[in-house]
Amino acid sequence: MNLLEFLKIALGSFSTNKLRSTLSLLGIIIGVASVITMVSIGTGAQVQVTNQIGAMGSNLITVSPGFIRGGGGRISQDIADVFTLEMAKAIENLSPNIKHVVPTSTTMGLAVYGGNNVRVQISGVTPAYQEVINHYPLIGRYIREEDVSNSEKVAVLGSEVALDLFGSENPVGKTMRLVIGGRTLSVKVVGVMEPKGQVLMANYDNRIYVPVTMLLNRGLNSRYVDGYSIMAASRDVAKAVVEEVQAFMTRMLGDPDRFRVMSQDTILEAVSQATSTMTLMLGAIASISLLVGGIGIMNIMLVTVSERTREIGIRKAVGAKRQHILIQFLLESMLLAVIGGILGLGLGWGGGYWISKALSWPFSISVPAVIIAIGFSAGVGLFFGIYPALQAASLDPVVALRYE
Amino acid sequence: MSTGDKVFVADRISKVYTMGDVKVHALRDISFSIESGEYAAIMGPSGSGKSTLMHIMGCLDRPTSGSLYLRGKDVSSLTDGELAEIRNAEIGFVFQNFNLLPNISILENVELPMVYAGVPPKERRERAVRALEMVGLGSRLHHKPSEVSGGQRQRASIARAVVNRPAIVLADEPTGNLDSATGAEIMELFDELNAKGNTIILVTHEREVAEHASRIIHILDGEIARMEIRKTNGRGTTQWEAVEV
Ligand SMILES: Nc1ncnc2c1ncn2[C@@H]1O[C@H](COP(=O)(O)OP(=O)(O)OP(=O)(O)O)[C@@H](O)[C@H]1O
Ligand SMILES: [Mg+2]
Repeated sequence: MNLLEFLKIALGSFSTNKLRSTLSLLGIIIGVASVITMVSIGTGAQVQVTNQIGAMGSNLITVSPGFIRGGGGRISQDIADVFTLEMAKAIENLSPNIKHVVPTSTTMGLAVYGGNNVRVQISGVTPAYQEVINHYPLIGRYIREEDVSNSEKVAVLGSEVALDLFGSENPVGKTMRLVIGGRTLSVKVVGVMEPKGQVLMANYDNRIYVPVTMLLNRGLNSRYVDGYSIMAASRDVAKAVVEEVQAFMTRMLGDPDRFRVMSQDTILEAVSQATSTMTLMLGAIASISLLVGGIGIMNIMLVTVSERTREIGIRKAVGAKRQHILIQFLLESMLLAVIGGILGLGLGWGGGYWISKALSWPFSISVPAVIIAIGFSAGVGLFFGIYPALQAASLDPVVALRYE
Repeated sequence: MSTGDKVFVADRISKVYTMGDVKVHALRDISFSIESGEYAAIMGPSGSGKSTLMHIMGCLDRPTSGSLYLRGKDVSSLTDGELAEIRNAEIGFVFQNFNLLPNISILENVELPMVYAGVPPKERRERAVRALEMVGLGSRLHHKPSEVSGGQRQRASIARAVVNRPAIVLADEPTGNLDSATGAEIMELFDELNAKGNTIILVTHEREVAEHASRIIHILDGEIARMEIRKTNGRGTTQWEAVEV
């Protein structure tokens, strides 16, 4: 007797028990569908976050102040007086692996034009910053070298700021006022940035870029910037750059605790660890429903066995052996599980696609997840089918025939 | 003991059912033998142990004690798998309530023993059709059992019993659920089978049915009460003569 014969018997018994087969299919369908949906949401979130970190810039390394722990009556605070413009130049000349070093200084302020005013983030930067964070002007121009060397009072507006202040007017060439910590500066708008949107926590469109020297000299009256944004020559050398910068700054400042050097990959690693933990957890929760589906199959198969006791008796009476009955019932439960698994896969695929569209996340389904889901449901069918099938196979023919 | 060319030799077979504290002795030390090609009938009141005996001879059940020899071989020494093979190839069993699978066609029901025998599908179909034609059901091949009459169902189950060409056919009240005219038609099939050389053993409550056989074994309370053998005298009339148990 070959497998095809058993398959024919199994399919025959499905068609005579359509409702029951459908119900037990449903358990597996829901189980597999929820595993696939959850895992695809999880991996979609992971891709989304990874994309966003990538959107922060290319091969970006940030240097930020260290942190003094509170103690002995002092409250904890960021170390402010560390990063000078000269040091930025020195770091840039450290190695060919370093493409750009942009000293950045950020403060909150008020932008005023005509009767409108809006609270904005004012970022003092150098021309290389547009390349470092991969964000370019849409109209007009960006900050130039001579703007930086002359502390020129020019500004490039984020797209939201431009819209809020100027409405439908073209801001380029207009003069507006910036209020920074009590001082008022008249600055000339030289460009408007392309919209970039919200990336992780930061809104790039609610910013105004000005020459870093202008912000330090005319606005903040300070010698120090907040930190540096460094662009490594390539992703591969980013790690080496982190070490070089770390070593150099330790030499210059004497204390490695006064600053922090972080690469995009470091952040990426931490975040993707968190999201894959989330994916795993979602998958595990969904697997419980798959397990419940398996128990459903077992339940149905047990009912089937007791309902079909007479059939088993007849088959044995005409010469079916133990293993014939065992294979027949095992195949039925595995077939149920695999058919349910395939249908559930389709449903989960659709569900995952729909949800990620609704959240405007990238849709991602992994081939291993599909293989695991189908394999797992076959395993569920096998595992939960074994006990009922053994029960069926071990029935005594005469007892089965006398069964009413 | 000598088993010769006997098909069955029952040697002090007992069957005891234990239900809680109660022991039911369905068969008590029964001994008899059946010759090859014999046509035997078993009679007895309800509950006397006829079906129990038939199930043991049909290798569907095992005795509690004693031995059953099938062509000299002690059946109790065989494994479940070997018994299944005997049920498949050597013994055809016909039940009072037909015991056809309700969800498949009559043709597929008749194919069933050949499925488990591993006969290839094409040959299987041909043989099943031939067996059904032999019992007069050539026009009902694709009907479900519920779509034909009781007599036709019993014909189908006889076709199933003989399709693997077993030498022995056992029938437990094959006419019990049929009216007497239909029963008579069914009995003709058994007569034909016996004429072809099959060993036939059937259980019945009806004297008329039992008289198709050449020997009648009477069972009472799990024991053989008496036996009768058919004698045909010179003028062609038949008489039934009691013999020693
Ligand atoms: N599985 C069982 N458990 C307990 N007792 C049983 C079982 N099967 C049969 N018996 C008992 O064994 C005895 C013989 O039963 P059996 O079915 O062989 O009788 P029978 O001669 O075939 O009767 P009938 O003419 O009604 O078919 C009966 O008393 C019956 O109650
Ligand atoms: Mg009976």
